[in-house]
Amino acid sequence: MHFEVDPKLDAFRKEVRDFLQANLPSDLIGIPRVGRSPPYAQSRWQKILHAHGWGAPYWSKEHGGNGWTVQQQLIFDEECVAAGAPTQDVFAHKLLGPVLNEFGNEEQKKEHIGPILRGERQWCQGFSEPGAGSDLASLRTKAERVGSHYIVNGQKIWTSTAHHADWIFLLVRTEQAVKKQAGISFLLVDMKTAGVTVRPIVSIDDCHHLNEVFFDNVKVPVENLIGTEGDGWKITKFLLNNEHASTAHLPTIKLYVNKLIALAKKLHAPNGLLCNQTDFMLSMVRIQAEVQAIEFMVQRVALLEQAHDPQAHVLGSMLKIKATELQQRITELLFDALGDYGPVRYPSPDQGLHPDINLPMQGLARGLVNEMFFRRASTIYGGTNEIQRGIIARLLFHF
Amino acid sequence: MQFHLNEEQSLLQESLRRFLDNEYGFEYRQSIRRTSPQGLRQNWRVFAENGWLAVALPESVGGFGGSIVETLIIAHEFGRVLVIEPYIGCAVLGAQTLLASGDKGKIETFLPEVAQGRLRIALAYDEPGLRGLPGPAEMKAKSTVNGYLLNGKKLLVIGAVDADKFIVSTRLEDSGRTGLFLVDADTPDLERIDLPLHDGTVAQELVFKDVHISQTAMIGNPDIGLQILRSGYNQGVLAICASMIGAMERAIEITSEYLRTRQQFGQPISSFQVLQHRMADMATEMELARSMLFSAMAAVSSGNTAHADQSVSFAKSLIGRSAKFVCGQAIQLHGGIGMTEEYVIGHYFKYAMVANALLGSSSRHDEACAAQLEHQCLEDCLDQEQVR
Repeated sequence: MHFEVDPKLDAFRKEVRDFLQANLPSDLIGIPRVGRSPPYAQSRWQKILHAHGWGAPYWSKEHGGNGWTVQQQLIFDEECVAAGAPTQDVFAHKLLGPVLNEFGNEEQKKEHIGPILRGERQWCQGFSEPGAGSDLASLRTKAERVGSHYIVNGQKIWTSTAHHADWIFLLVRTEQAVKKQAGISFLLVDMKTAGVTVRPIVSIDDCHHLNEVFFDNVKVPVENLIGTEGDGWKITKFLLNNEHASTAHLPTIKLYVNKLIALAKKLHAPNGLLCNQTDFMLSMVRIQAEVQAIEFMVQRVALLEQAHDPQAHVLGSMLKIKATELQQRITELLFDALGDYGPVRYPSPDQGLHPDINLPMQGLARGLVNEMFFRRASTIYGGTNEIQRGIIARLLFHF
Repeated sequence: MQFHLNEEQSLLQESLRRFLDNEYGFEYRQSIRRTSPQGLRQNWRVFAENGWLAVALPESVGGFGGSIVETLIIAHEFGRVLVIEPYIGCAVLGAQTLLASGDKGKIETFLPEVAQGRLRIALAYDEPGLRGLPGPAEMKAKSTVNGYLLNGKKLLVIGAVDADKFIVSTRLEDSGRTGLFLVDADTPDLERIDLPLHDGTVAQELVFKDVHISQTAMIGNPDIGLQILRSGYNQGVLAICASMIGAMERAIEITSEYLRTRQQFGQPISSFQVLQHRMADMATEMELARSMLFSAMAAVSSGNTAHADQSVSFAKSLIGRSAKFVCGQAIQLHGGIGMTEEYVIGHYFKYAMVANALLGSSSRHDEACAAQLEHQCLEDCLDQEQVR
């Protein structure tokens, strides 16, 4: 055990910072993100990264990635967020990409890896269904083999960015097996295929990220099956266990803290500023302490992941619980900090910037409360926090 | 950065655990607690013989040149079985403050004795207005022809009962600086009041009424007296944090065993989801606490004192709250048996409550950090105005 910071990581951070300074176009900085940046921004940024050889920050060298350690990946993410860069397509990079690299055949890799790296093909994830949330394996969307195609029928829900995505990776039932996990397969579907319908779901944060996706006799070539029929559950477990360290969204948490401090220095309160209010400041320091603890929990998970240590799963589940609960607490404090402007429903970040809408405090307050409402989803997505508790109880205590 | 123990550190941990598992069971602890609430001299000798009192001291004074990491490994293992002997009070707080003073003469005279277990030094810094956090002392040191006269009170001095010497913080009357003095425990006119604590140990309150000490008793440079004090104190706080994490770890183990064996409604109660989730929360809280401790250790090792002081306060606050939660829930999951003085688990909660209160409670540390942050914010505001 020692706490010396690896000078190589410091040098790497500087390299990323210099790169961002030189290559992040000013018109791509600080574009409002509704969970993710708009597709055009993601696409342009992806092209720039790819041209620099940084198109796949999370993949190993043998798969055409940068071969960065988990710690380097975290630094890259942190610096990108701090610089206000657009997001990358996380579905392609962190979920589908590793699956393609691990389970895909040569044709499939050839078909999809290039467009992902060049920012030409964006992805969404078709897992949840109305009847299959936490109990994912009870999904019912069906794929029947007819000649050289699968005919897909069914419905997916809570599909983030489906309205922007070019392709979707799907879990489908190819066989009514005795054990429900056994008959599941992993299928790639072009969203432009006839019979695919996307319907928006506006969430309580006033934004549209979620969708329902309907499949009505959708014809999918059999070449789009990853692995073999029935591999779906195995692939899903691989995909969900692939990365724990970044689920904390630490860079975003740090942005929230900075925002809180900015408000504390700016907003008026009885006998001075918000930063003179004892109760608020006590909440602030408790949050700061927890952020610092979570920062090290992220580091612990990253090192375990890097070493392929199975303990990364337990600690990863703990991190998910703690970080997402903290996201909720911080954003509630943001609402609180805004005082009389907290309850005001500013135009949603979805609506872009309208010069004709000019509500008081808009510059400081707009978008913050949307974050607070959005963060209610954090403890649900990626395996609800209750599912995480079940995982911890099982893996740690063998109950 | 690396969070797992290296080979030497693992060996240290194993030797501690072997000794404590074999020799320091709960019944034994309770028996010495009744006969000798400050722990046994013979155990202290064992600690010394194993080098546990010397690991974090420099080789020049007979130590092993270890760091805060080794101190915390020991504190953690002691926390697991709620060791009575005042390791933190007498082997960390006092020794590390003396070391931080840079007072070569006294370091070379006394620290070898500390390392050998022949001398115990406790740290007397707390006062009514401080509530556990080091700050400018009110206790006065008035210079006389051949020394100083001390007047004032020191609260809740842990490890004081068996201490041979105290490091006492004072306000030097002529300059207002913080003077640290190494004072013999048996100095005439020094009144020592025993304070039994809920965790079974005994602390002391020290009352100085015109206590005369010699000129040579001062340690370190009073210009940086408060920094010296804070540096030794920080090591003690992190040790107590590590000890609380050890206590949480063991309380969770005991509780998980109990849930597996206790039957209600015809099944082991570990099969109930509500209890499984509670255990998951307890374990999660503990791992967050451990991460907090690592972050504070990194901050202290970084040499940035402002960052170190803040992180140590963050750690004491967060880990104290975690320990209260985890050990409180450990009682809850046991049900009635958890309330009995005879059974082990309630003592973990008592320990957590006392440890949280020692060296400044969660709320005390929060207040200090909040005041510091407010100060920073206001300074930033001023700077911005000046720019404009």
